[in-house]
Amino acid sequence: MTAPVAPESVPPDPGDDVAEAPPRRRTGLIVSAVVAVLAIGFVAVLATREPATDRRRDSPLIGRVVPPLAGETLAGGNFDIDDQRGRWVVVNFFATWCVPCRIEHPELDAFNQAHARAGDAVLVSVLFDDDPASAREFFDGNGGDWPVVLDGDGLIASAFGTPKVPESYLVTPNGRVAAKFTGGVTRDGVDRAIDQIEQAAAERGAP
Amino acid sequence: MTRTRLLGWLAMAAVLVAALAIGVADDGGPRTPEERARSLAETVACPACDGQSVAESDAAASRGIRTLIAERIDQGASDDAIRDELVATWGESILLTPDSSGVGGLVWVLPVVALVLALAGVGYVFWRWRGMAAVHASDADRELVDQALAPSTRARGEDP
Repeated sequence: MTAPVAPESVPPDPGDDVAEAPPRRRTGLIVSAVVAVLAIGFVAVLATREPATDRRRDSPLIGRVVPPLAGETLAGGNFDIDDQRGRWVVVNFFATWCVPCRIEHPELDAFNQAHARAGDAVLVSVLFDDDPASAREFFDGNGGDWPVVLDGDGLIASAFGTPKVPESYLVTPNGRVAAKFTGGVTRDGVDRAIDQIEQAAAERGAP
Repeated sequence: MTRTRLLGWLAMAAVLVAALAIGVADDGGPRTPEERARSLAETVACPACDGQSVAESDAAASRGIRTLIAERIDQGASDDAIRDELVATWGESILLTPDSSGVGGLVWVLPVVALVLALAGVGYVFWRWRGMAAVHASDADRELVDQALAPSTRARGEDP
């Protein structure tokens, strides 16, 4: 093989670089302008976004019969969602190591207290990737007396399609999934969702 | 020379046929429930992480799905039924292997098309090379070569 010697093998003249260098001041100005525009855009997006709580998400489960949710509770009893027909059910997936879960806890407590008196809605939590002892300690310290179902093998979370916590599902009195919330809920947010769904059902003339 | 070439082709054909036979035969063997669960989990995406299958991930959601797969296999469900159940809960994105119909089918068809095109291209290039080998140097070409070589051969005193 007699390949011709490539002209690139000759070292470039160092003087060329200096002569062709772009005006640094202008480049700096352009870069700062681009960074400033990006920063302003970022702040605008964050400021106009919906809040992180009560964020309703789409789920293949919406409109369908609620997946099986039955099992032993933290208090040693048993819970079965099928026994709750006729009332709204809020199914809340949580873990004590999850900060947004700890933040939403007082809101859930308020929702539970308000509706326990009225008897029109129940709250049930499902323990996600956490040990019962931590959950017991958490409830002792932070209050709350609604049932917490243990899900050691993760089958309940799998049936609901829950990858992360906190997540909550709103189940209608006739046992269908009506809404999915990610990133934590507030008492007002859940009450508003129930009102909206009841209103929409009334407009359609359905029970 | 031609016999060696023929033997080469025969050897290549034998390897190809053997590889295909092994590939096809290996698919239908009896498998344990654990093997079935494992290979099914490899086709399911971990819903809590990026780019990992349920088989490799240790996220809580992946453990839950592995338990669900094992339980359904125990109950006698088919692989397709388990996959359908997962899609019904999590949506189509839970599957790592794309659907074979619709736009997803392109993922399966395009590699085959690319392979056929590549083989055709290689065949065409080989065919052209064979054609080029048949070109013979003309008398004018020989004269040019002789002229070019003449000074060097004379310098070494080899001029006839």
